[in-house]
Amino acid sequence: MTLSQRLANWARVKSPWITLFNSGACNACDIEVIAALTPRFDVERFGILAVGSPRHADILVVTGPVTRKQASRLKRIYDQMPEPKYVIATGACGATGGVFKGLYHIVDGVENVIPVDVFVAGCPPRPDEVINAVVSCLGLLKEDIAHGGKEWRKKKAPAPVAAAKEAPAQAAPAPPVATAATQAAPKEASA
Amino acid sequence: MSPLELATVAKAMEGLGTADQVRGNRIKVTLQPGKIKEALAKAMNDLACDHVVQISALDNGKAFELIYHLTGDHRTVVALAIEIPRDKPETPTVSDVLPPAGIYERQIHDLLGIVFVGHPDLRRIILNEDWPKDEFPLRKDWKPNPDTYYGGVRPEAK
Repeated sequence: MTLSQRLANWARVKSPWITLFNSGACNACDIEVIAALTPRFDVERFGILAVGSPRHADILVVTGPVTRKQASRLKRIYDQMPEPKYVIATGACGATGGVFKGLYHIVDGVENVIPVDVFVAGCPPRPDEVINAVVSCLGLLKEDIAHGGKEWRKKKAPAPVAAAKEAPAQAAPAPPVATAATQAAPKEASA
Repeated sequence: MSPLELATVAKAMEGLGTADQVRGNRIKVTLQPGKIKEALAKAMNDLACDHVVQISALDNGKAFELIYHLTGDHRTVVALAIEIPRDKPETPTVSDVLPPAGIYERQIHDLLGIVFVGHPDLRRIILNEDWPKDEFPLRKDWKPNPDTYYGGVRPEAK
């Protein structure tokens, strides 16, 4: 890792910039996210800054179920964000569609359109929980830096299915990845 | 202006339908089939109803019920109720005499598939543009077909 990369990663972890996107929410999640940004919770003291453009943002906070009209817009906004990018889906609607699940005008959760890193429970979630989600995004960011990308998280999930189907000899290389993850994380934290 | 009396409305709507005071200051007129344009002209000219509050539409399983809620300076809501058969969902448009009704008609056409004959511009207004034709989500017998693409994001483009 070059010095400039290390510097950029340090800055990214110290000051994540978030942008808010309403994909069809009832506004309750938006109000809670805005409340997290305003002086009572004041996330700017942690370096978290809300920006107006997805091109400047590291973390996209999506509120609400995704309506059929908003789905293509959400995809475009996600594509505009620079790597590394993280997505937080807030509330019950962002996770599954919530009370709107299965209705004619929505495509249910945010994950049906773009990959989601952190889900926040609640209807709506409290501002503390939104802050917690952003902070856990930073944890993910640190781990991703240690692994050199997001790929390691994708490989982890379908591992049990693949291990059941294939020979045990091929399933064996999977555990060292997990141990490497646990070893690498403290090293990065101490550095 | 003082509120409208039930007798005034019943007299104006004579031969078109039966008037009924459903609540204080709300008068519902159940119209005979095909009388909506005449009744609307009467309401606008004789009862000074120059304002459409909304057009409500309902699928009760047997027919479509449309209620035109009108009001004016007298503040009485005059509701003109019609029924449209399910096998022939057509009714003449009232947007030529009452232009604000046109946008409600577009909405009803979009969600329930009722054709307003003579409407100049029955485009989609609520559903997404790639929604399939001949699917009307607010009809009671509508069920989403798992094989149909309803717009949004295609499954393979995730």
